[in-house]
Amino acid sequence: MSETLLSVRNLSVVFAGEDGPRTLIDDLSFDLGKGEILGLVGESGSGKSLTCRSLVRLMPSPNLTIASGSVMLDGRDLTKAPDSDIRAVRGRDIGMIFQNPTSHLDPLMRIGDQIAEGIRIHRGVDGKAARAAALDILAQVGFPHPARQYNGYPHEFSGGMRQRAMIGVALSCDPRILIADEPTTALDVTIQAQILRLLMDLRESRGLSVILITHDLGIVAQTCDRIAVLRQGRLLEIGDKRDVLGRPQHPYTRNLIASHPSMPERQAAFVPAREPAIPKARPLVEIDDLHVRFPVTGRSLFSGGPREFSAVKGVSLQVMPGETVGIVGESGSGKSTLARALLGLTPISEGHVAFDGADIVTERAKALRKLRREAAMVFQDPYNALNPRLTIGAMLAEVLAVQESVPKERIPARIGELLDLVGLEREFAGRKPLSMSGGQCQRAGIARALAVNPKLIVADECVAALDVTIQAQIVDLFRDLKQRLNLTLLFIAHDLAIVRNLCERVVVMYHGEIVEEGPTDKVFAAPREAYTQALIGAIPDIDPDRPLLSPRGGDDFVEETSGLVTGEA
Amino acid sequence: MHRYKFVLYRPLQFLPVLFGISLITFILVRLIPGDPARVLLGTRSTPSAIAAIRAQYGLDQPIWLQYFYFLQNLAQGEMGKSILYKIDVLRLIATRIEPTLALVLSAVLLSLVIAVPLASLAARSNGGPADHIVRFVSTFGIGFPPFWLALMLIIFFSVRLDLFPVSGYGETVADKLYHLILPALTIALSLSTVLIRSLRTAMIAELKGDLATAARARGMPESIVFWRHVMPNSLVPTINLLAVNIGWLIGGTVVVESVFALPGMGQLLVRAIFSRDYMVVQGVAMVFACATVLVNFIADIVTVAIDPRVKQ
Amino acid sequence: MTAALAPAWKAVRRRPTLLAGLILLAIFLFVALMAPVIAPYDPILQNGDLRLQPPSWSHPFGTDNFGRDIFSRVIWGTRVDLQIAVIGVVFPFLIGTVVGTLAGYLGGKVDIVFMRVIDIILAFPFLVLMLSIIAILGPGLQSFYIAMALVGWVSYARLIRAQMLVLKTADYATAALSLGFSGPRIMFRHLLPNAIAGSVVFSMSDCVLVLLSGAAISYLGLGVQPPVAEWGVMVAEGQSFITTAWWITLFPGLSIVTLAFGFSLTGDGLGDLLGVRE
Repeated sequence: MSETLLSVRNLSVVFAGEDGPRTLIDDLSFDLGKGEILGLVGESGSGKSLTCRSLVRLMPSPNLTIASGSVMLDGRDLTKAPDSDIRAVRGRDIGMIFQNPTSHLDPLMRIGDQIAEGIRIHRGVDGKAARAAALDILAQVGFPHPARQYNGYPHEFSGGMRQRAMIGVALSCDPRILIADEPTTALDVTIQAQILRLLMDLRESRGLSVILITHDLGIVAQTCDRIAVLRQGRLLEIGDKRDVLGRPQHPYTRNLIASHPSMPERQAAFVPAREPAIPKARPLVEIDDLHVRFPVTGRSLFSGGPREFSAVKGVSLQVMPGETVGIVGESGSGKSTLARALLGLTPISEGHVAFDGADIVTERAKALRKLRREAAMVFQDPYNALNPRLTIGAMLAEVLAVQESVPKERIPARIGELLDLVGLEREFAGRKPLSMSGGQCQRAGIARALAVNPKLIVADECVAALDVTIQAQIVDLFRDLKQRLNLTLLFIAHDLAIVRNLCERVVVMYHGEIVEEGPTDKVFAAPREAYTQALIGAIPDIDPDRPLLSPRGGDDFVEETSGLVTGEA
Repeated sequence: MHRYKFVLYRPLQFLPVLFGISLITFILVRLIPGDPARVLLGTRSTPSAIAAIRAQYGLDQPIWLQYFYFLQNLAQGEMGKSILYKIDVLRLIATRIEPTLALVLSAVLLSLVIAVPLASLAARSNGGPADHIVRFVSTFGIGFPPFWLALMLIIFFSVRLDLFPVSGYGETVADKLYHLILPALTIALSLSTVLIRSLRTAMIAELKGDLATAARARGMPESIVFWRHVMPNSLVPTINLLAVNIGWLIGGTVVVESVFALPGMGQLLVRAIFSRDYMVVQGVAMVFACATVLVNFIADIVTVAIDPRVKQ
Repeated sequence: MTAALAPAWKAVRRRPTLLAGLILLAIFLFVALMAPVIAPYDPILQNGDLRLQPPSWSHPFGTDNFGRDIFSRVIWGTRVDLQIAVIGVVFPFLIGTVVGTLAGYLGGKVDIVFMRVIDIILAFPFLVLMLSIIAILGPGLQSFYIAMALVGWVSYARLIRAQMLVLKTADYATAALSLGFSGPRIMFRHLLPNAIAGSVVFSMSDCVLVLLSGAAISYLGLGVQPPVAEWGVMVAEGQSFITTAWWITLFPGLSIVTLAFGFSLTGDGLGDLLGVRE
């Protein structure tokens, strides 16, 4: 490690709760070297964000206090410095960027002015010089037309550009250390690769030291020099990334690495399922030239523009009984709309969808009756997917009663069976979603899907909101259920690695169209389309020697660099 | 500059509302039991007057045609005559607009002068003694009936201290403003309780929010965090609240004008109701409704000027 | 029953605002129910010998120009004003909830029609529309309730509709749809219970609004008619004597303020309890 810049020793943070104090950060020590990128890895609740907030005493709640320890920067202890000193450190020495640029940028202020504001206050220069410096920073963080884009408001930019703007705001005070708190979690994978690339470039050009907080070991492997693994406020291990990833000391780190979807072990766990049942079997789902269009709302009278927005444009797809098909694509690719259309939840504009031989368009009543009893959906946000007022038992009982799939007196027994099936203790029947963890809620959501005795389950980004170790458990559960219940599974995800582990066949969508489809191993080994190649190349692999391919410039499917998404709707 | 394009077509969107306003005011008067001509003319109903008004409003025609005549008269600025004052309703209302308008404007200004500093004080000392006091006073003050508050102010300022007049309206501008102080204060005190609560909530949310955190993380002094980021973002919802409350505010002026015997539209309305001067009731209700629509339109423009995200 | 109430009591006890509000409301309810027992004098019977007496031990709030005991009239007034606040809110709440649920969930033409009606009603200043309706129906409490039901539901409809628009895109609503649940079941069993918290909290501040409006309309002479003891009427009766007998106006006004304070505190406490932000 190079010369130490920041040194954290025995840092403890305590929360003064109603039921007495709780230690959230426990005796944490680490160093940050000059020009180094340190990865702070952990799952939700590990205290990784709080650690970084504590460095500059930016506590999210007044009930949180630094109980002991020191944070040394240039021979000063930041935990004991007076408030005015710490304010000078914030931004000037230690800058921060956050996960959600939309809420951290001022919606009422031009992005250029937001950058200039920091320059004026920290460097004490006049408005004109600040503006010039801000334009320079805009160019550095990758705005192609700084002069024009200086005047844009945050909402006029795409998510990736907003994150660039926030990096620009942080750089405005010319810090030596940049703390990046999950800076790419809200972004699509190709954009994520660009932002990570930008951070690495800035490290080179400015000699920045970076603390990168993330839940994704792949990102750490690709961008960091050293890794610190946190769990429940404790530092489990810290070291060179090759050492930690190659020879993890702590069992939790081993589990974390093993859970990463890009791990060879997890891919090996994929058992190529039985040959698609009987060769001449009828497809369970048949989609033929499907179009789904939505009316554009909020369109002003005079601005012209299209009246409709095409979410799905001419998609054809067949799914055989017992198959597991993955649908991948970035946000806005139309994958969720496709799922909703085939379940009869979104009106079809054109084309046909048939479920088990019943056409949703021509024989709507019959097809819907079939769909409601033989198909079910699992959702992304496990808390949003369950009615917060109902216990899990009441929720399942209602489904069973409405569907009349089991006689009334059998309902309690059936609820027990369903909970067993998804690996939940039976006492969960009496609990409400808010008292359960995300993974438990997701299991309850799967139990609800199973309550209809489905032939088909459509899982829409159902592990995206979960921690990696939980993700792995849910994927395993799906694999297990598929075997035991002979399910057909349509697995929608933006995370290609997960699809690769679970699915036999993969369909890649882009802007409402299928750009590539085929057996999973073939598509991943030799993607035909440039978009698929970029998508696969942008997945942060946990192997540090497999470099991150950042699709920069030239690729017409990456609109990111085109900058300003104009205000006209 | 397309942000302001809605200024052109927004009035078009108000058309159905204006249509609805005319329909409701029309129906209101037709719902009064008895012969509409006699109702409209009151005690003055000579046979010739009845015949004249029948012809003008087509009262022996089918109801939808009557509504058409009503609109036609309206388009010509003709809303009938007041029984009590014996002049055209619109002309009568025109003489009453000034006190009401002056009262509403001074009350809004005064309430902002009261609310903004107090809400800022409370929000910045969130949880501290100043916050508790402001919160208690605003929660308590919300339940003050304006008519009673007005009387209490009169007892204190006019009777005890002999500072302000008890009632009436002056001749000169200075005299008028002098007479407006207590009525405006009454409404402003009521309105500011609502504003303080809303502003304080918005400010506390912003002060705790991501925006303030990000500003602090780059070392911005608390004054910049508050005035440059928290304040503008908290004002946006408050302007909307003011616009929504304009109807409530006008309700307040109706009562307060009656207490202080201010010759405004509110007092006119109450008197008209007592003297069964239905043409005037109809006219005042319609003018008040149109004023509300206008205020909402202005609030839209202000919101768009402050907030670039809004573009309708 | 007690077992079910235990967690509710625990939640209330930890919120002093809610507790104070509920206690105040309970006191007013008690006074209203027990008025004939508590009130020392007849609220209507006039007594020429006792005109305009200042507060004393036998007449703690003094007497008015007809020699009636203000204290007794304030107590009897509790019955009328509490009734105004409650009845004036219940009907708008029910109507608005049903309309908002239907408009928000069904969308389309139903929504457009209701939203237009709401826009038009909201274009009229609340009190002006109330007064106009009362002008037609004739003065009195009954007219006030009818006018309230015609006008007051729009706030609730808007609140519930806005909630419904958000909730119907929730995944559990989609799940219910994909499981073949009927529209009414999704609307009223799954979405409405999750949508209603905001309206319940608002109904408390609405009680304040309705109480003040009812009192104001009575003060203007268009609501409750004398000689019935109602706080707004009493303020109006005392107005001519503010220079000489301030107590006639002071005490009924204070009663309004205190009852309103009870509703406000309860509303704030409920908002905190149910996690509703304004």
